[in-house]
Amino acid sequence: MDRIENPSRARILARVKAALASPASRHARQTNDPAFAPVANPLERFQKECAGNNTECVTTPDLSASAAAISKILSELPAGEIFVQASPELRWMASAWTSHSIRWSSGPAEDGGSKRGPSESSQATVTMAEALVALTGSVLVSAECGGRGAAFVAPVHIVVAKAGQLVLDLEAAFARVKERGTANKNSYLCFITGSSRTADIEKILVMGAHGPRRLVVFVALGTE
Amino acid sequence: MSNAASEFLRDAATKSADLAHRQIIRHGIDKYNEAFERGRARFFNWETARQRCYEIKWEAVNHLDRYLVEFEERVKARGGHVFWAENAEEARAYITDLAKRRGVRTIVKSKSMVAEEIHLAPALEKEGIKVYETDLGEFIVQLRNEPPYHIVTPAMHLTRRDISALFKEKLGGIDTEDPPELVGVARRWLRQTFFAADMGISGANFLVADSGMIAITTNEGNADLGTSLPQIHVALAGIEKVIPRLEDLAILWPVLATAGTGQPITCYNTLIGGPRGPNETDGPEEFHVILLDNGRSELLADAEQRDVLNCIRCGACLNACPVFRSVGGHTYGTTYPGPIGSVLTPHLRGLDEFQHLSYASSLCGACTDACPVKIDLHHHLLHNRRNAVNEAHRPWAERIGFKFWRWTTMSAGRFAFLGSIGRAALRAAYALGLETTVLDPLRPWTKDRAAPRIPAKSFRALWRKGIGSN
Repeated sequence: MDRIENPSRARILARVKAALASPASRHARQTNDPAFAPVANPLERFQKECAGNNTECVTTPDLSASAAAISKILSELPAGEIFVQASPELRWMASAWTSHSIRWSSGPAEDGGSKRGPSESSQATVTMAEALVALTGSVLVSAECGGRGAAFVAPVHIVVAKAGQLVLDLEAAFARVKERGTANKNSYLCFITGSSRTADIEKILVMGAHGPRRLVVFVALGTE
Repeated sequence: MSNAASEFLRDAATKSADLAHRQIIRHGIDKYNEAFERGRARFFNWETARQRCYEIKWEAVNHLDRYLVEFEERVKARGGHVFWAENAEEARAYITDLAKRRGVRTIVKSKSMVAEEIHLAPALEKEGIKVYETDLGEFIVQLRNEPPYHIVTPAMHLTRRDISALFKEKLGGIDTEDPPELVGVARRWLRQTFFAADMGISGANFLVADSGMIAITTNEGNADLGTSLPQIHVALAGIEKVIPRLEDLAILWPVLATAGTGQPITCYNTLIGGPRGPNETDGPEEFHVILLDNGRSELLADAEQRDVLNCIRCGACLNACPVFRSVGGHTYGTTYPGPIGSVLTPHLRGLDEFQHLSYASSLCGACTDACPVKIDLHHHLLHNRRNAVNEAHRPWAERIGFKFWRWTTMSAGRFAFLGSIGRAALRAAYALGLETTVLDPLRPWTKDRAAPRIPAKSFRALWRKGIGSN
């Protein structure tokens, strides 16, 4: 990378420091109420939020039941390629998915560095999640979940999650991220809440703007 | 009067008389209001949420140097580049030079108000680089060669019929007014571009200091595609966008979504911290963040108005503003329209040229109530008015007029006496038939409105007779 001179850095920082020499007043704290009501039943809340934000949330007893249900969804999609995160769980689950040819995301040991995301013609992507957020019905994915394009390129995104990944709210999700070093290990994190949408034409809600039209989350209840 | 002021007055008069325009804006804002009320009801306490966001931004803005340096260090540690730009020219030069050095031919761009502020796209196009706006609203206004009308809803002023006609003319082969089909047209049109583009440019809603990541919020997923597929990602942000901690987003994201569109949380809340890692499947090889000052550090020096830098660009003050609803977003002639733009623009582009915007307000305070980060917007409009007067930027006739007014109101007897003379003079003028003519003493008012009825007696006379007693 070429070196770029940046004399403005020192000038801006000097101006900022000088500006802050005069202190600003502060609004008094008005209330100690929580901003959000507590979540009583996280799974129920997650399902309710998913119903409201256009995520299909399916609960299964375990990962092998999730694998079978995913196989059914895939068999109903147009023929072509699907893109799957090369995780040990998904490698094992994918043995049941025979309807499509599978393109695997590359891991470090996979293909010696020739990395690629899903192709433009992928029919679906299947990935794991980092966490599920009950309060907002969100799915947290990282670069490790098949890369950045995995959640966006194909018209259908299928997420395989475990009950143990469900957290109460965004605060708890960030605590988990920090505890596990997820933000340090990944250049990319995304909280996905529902499928892609826009309301830029007359404020009318239209699904499937640029990302997937369909987001399906399988929660394996018996798996931590 | 400045050029900007006379243009504003001319366009405001035209737009506020345009009933079709009013109808479209009213429709859009009514839908927003419904969604916002639903969204707010989902919070246990919206005021607590606002207060939290305010506190986070207060902490960040009042320790801006510390958090910016922390952010920069962490981005660099992750293999990203940080460039500090003092003004629009420096920011544009950095990006165009980078694009030229890397042989970039096409760029996919997601929404960035800072890019609008520095007029980035025209500068790149001048170098022969094609820039595609990928947010649907931005794509539409780009095809119309217009700036965005609203911070969050760039094409708010257009009907589906307008958009259909535009697509038919510019993209061809389309004959539909159905919004889902129109969205499909844009999706297909932009899809190949995403895969072919050499560079992705995005804004940043927040810069997270403790993690060295930028946060981008979209509903469409366009910013995610645009920062995943091309080999270079350039993110643009004002220096005030930094926040201390990752956890701060746990309240900022829901509040931004609710204030912006009424949603509980936006569809895609993305964090990006550098180029693709060594073990990652995809993503850009290069990641650049541009930190733009462009007048912000001067605003920071104004302790009274420092909270203007709290702004998270949600657009709630625009929706709440009766002036915005009447005159529309383009009339302001500024990158940032509405109340926040009226407060901010004099700081960014000069009080002399843009002081008139301080008067584009009824001072009703709806903007201040709507602001999710508690910017004291309507008082800042008054502060800007005061500053304009103190810095002697007002015409001498006005200054003498106000001196006279002050002198009049300093004594009750003087006020009563001059009031009776005024009423008598007005009655005499109207007896001569001057009402609503160019010689009408109340001409500025009666030009567009019926003349007020002149009361027979003053309020003081009525009061003495006992109207106050019942």
